[in-house]
Amino acid sequence: MPPAAIWVDGLIQSCIYMTMAFGMVLVFSILGILNWAHGQFYMLGAIAVYYAVTAAGISFPVSILLTGLLIAGLGIMVKKGIIDRVQGDLYVGVATISLIFFFEGAANMVVGMEDRGLSMVLIGVLDLGPFSVSYQKLAVLVFTLVVMISMYIVLNRTKIGLAIRAAAQQPVAASLYGISVERLSLVVMGIGCGLAAMAGGIMAPIYPINPFMGGIPMIMSLLAIVIGGIGSLTGAIVGGLILGFLNSVIAYYLSYFSEVVLFALVIFILLVRPQGLFGAALK
Amino acid sequence: MKKWYSIATMVVITAMVFGMASAPKPAQAAEKPIIIKVGTPTPLSGPAGPWGQIGIAPSEAWLALFNKEGFKVGGKTYNFQIVRADDKNTPEGGTAAAKKLIYEDKCKFIVSHWSWNFPSVSAVANQAKVIYLTRTGNEAVPGGVYDPKKQPYTVFANPSHEEFISDLFAIAEAFPNYKRIGINDSTIGKGVGWDYVDRECDKAGLRYHHEWYPPGTQDFTPYLTRYKEAGCDIIYGAGDVMAAMLVTKQRWEMGLKTWRTGTSGGILNPMMYISVCGMEASQGFMGQYFANWDFKKTKVDPKKIKRCQEVMKIVSKQQGTPYTYTAWIGWFPHHIEILAQAMQRAGTVDDPDAIMAAIRGGTFDTTIGKFTFSGAKTYGSPIVFGTPGCMSQIKGTKEVYLSEHPLAALP
Repeated sequence: MPPAAIWVDGLIQSCIYMTMAFGMVLVFSILGILNWAHGQFYMLGAIAVYYAVTAAGISFPVSILLTGLLIAGLGIMVKKGIIDRVQGDLYVGVATISLIFFFEGAANMVVGMEDRGLSMVLIGVLDLGPFSVSYQKLAVLVFTLVVMISMYIVLNRTKIGLAIRAAAQQPVAASLYGISVERLSLVVMGIGCGLAAMAGGIMAPIYPINPFMGGIPMIMSLLAIVIGGIGSLTGAIVGGLILGFLNSVIAYYLSYFSEVVLFALVIFILLVRPQGLFGAALK
Repeated sequence: MKKWYSIATMVVITAMVFGMASAPKPAQAAEKPIIIKVGTPTPLSGPAGPWGQIGIAPSEAWLALFNKEGFKVGGKTYNFQIVRADDKNTPEGGTAAAKKLIYEDKCKFIVSHWSWNFPSVSAVANQAKVIYLTRTGNEAVPGGVYDPKKQPYTVFANPSHEEFISDLFAIAEAFPNYKRIGINDSTIGKGVGWDYVDRECDKAGLRYHHEWYPPGTQDFTPYLTRYKEAGCDIIYGAGDVMAAMLVTKQRWEMGLKTWRTGTSGGILNPMMYISVCGMEASQGFMGQYFANWDFKKTKVDPKKIKRCQEVMKIVSKQQGTPYTYTAWIGWFPHHIEILAQAMQRAGTVDDPDAIMAAIRGGTFDTTIGKFTFSGAKTYGSPIVFGTPGCMSQIKGTKEVYLSEHPLAALP
């Protein structure tokens, strides 16, 4: 049995994969595309929060909220300005892959390549005897709970949530009932990118901030989606949880072989259950 | 009378003209130094970009000072000119950069190379008979791709694994009561070079434990737990700055506050570690140290020390903030000193074979001390240089001297 520190670590890792994967799936369920630049919205969020706190003196929680809104706006602009103008899923995919390099290059030009950190935020470590956990990591846990509960309420208790679910399941029928799928897709793109940015923001005190920080979270959230089932919001949450714990526990036991095991697991799931654990739950 | 006056004037003018013509010329003013182009393939973009960027300003400033004097070969004065190409720290980037430098920019030498693309650059340089000063690495030792016979123009002016071993010894000497040193490296670094490190550590009775992590790992808690179970209290990484920062921060978060951490390669900027890891967690973080004015065991020519200190002042003034990074001292100027001295001994700047003959087994006095190339004792290579094996640590917001274990050639 791994020590408590490994389980706590797995839980924290899960939180971030869940939030990232949730945003990606939300976009996929309405737009039908994987936004390959999702990790770069995460990176932009971390950079924006860094400057909001250090340069503008805005408090950390407010910075995360403002950044979420700002990057949601950027996501909407990307949807209107690029995704809507490119025809065909393949070319949309290529366009979002191009955005990876565009955003990385732009961030590099504007803020430079040097690693930055927000270690001055939420300083301290909670010592619980057999293990310790930093307040920064506890904040990730609280943030994820707040986001998940908020998203549950939005999707299940509001009109827009009902519209999103309807459009995800039957876009044609939804539009016949007067739902503007076009407008809804803008909202969803905004929510997805905003979630990624807020995830980047909450992780800013934990990991070094640089223009290339979005790649790994993007890959991990993609794995979470594959495990949980592409298109399933429940799957994104469960996939994120499984991936976070597996990553920690397998690395503890098998060291660097953990990567091989994780990817082998993804291939196995794709072979035996291509739709993932909760595939097409929304549809 | 008028006639005599004219004749006297003409005689005076003639004497003046002849006198001026025969007067000794100010030699320096008239002789223009001949420029020798040296190429540096280095990452200028991508994740490794900061490592390439940070050395540009001091190298330029040092070269300007070096060129003021220049160096003489066969009665002629020479200067170096540096040309950089972005190698992106990738194999294909290395090939493209080396080709550009050699065939387009007409560089006669490749210096100051450290990226993870030794095979690419070495292949291009050796084919073109261009002398190539670099570091060692897994790929650059027997069992990797290095073959002293096939790559006769490759010079290991910075032996990485030997440096790493010296670092471990320097750490063990600084903290004699250490329990075990955890050696932390990504699987990219896994290779035959580490056999040399293990063998030397075993021979010296050093207590250590290796862990390898997949490249890009951000969560080191599982690895730190493994180090803890192996009884480690020092974690020393193999040059991955991101990993070093994460290990430093995460060991603190796990309550392992007495553990020391560090990584090979110079400390880029103490404030970067403080900003990412926090002030308390960063204290005592260790890195390689090339501030030759602080060396206690390695002797360096005072003139060379003075020049390096002047460069630090110039770059600080240029940037408007104190410039603290010192690892540049162990690279570009060190390579240039070797080249210039080898050319002087060979009596030529054009004949790579004659210059290589001077480098092989030769003793050179550079910015990091006076060392003799090992002469086939290491890796079967006649061309592996020494190193000061000096370590620093972060204290407050500054980088200060920690310990030193000068490198000896590996048998």
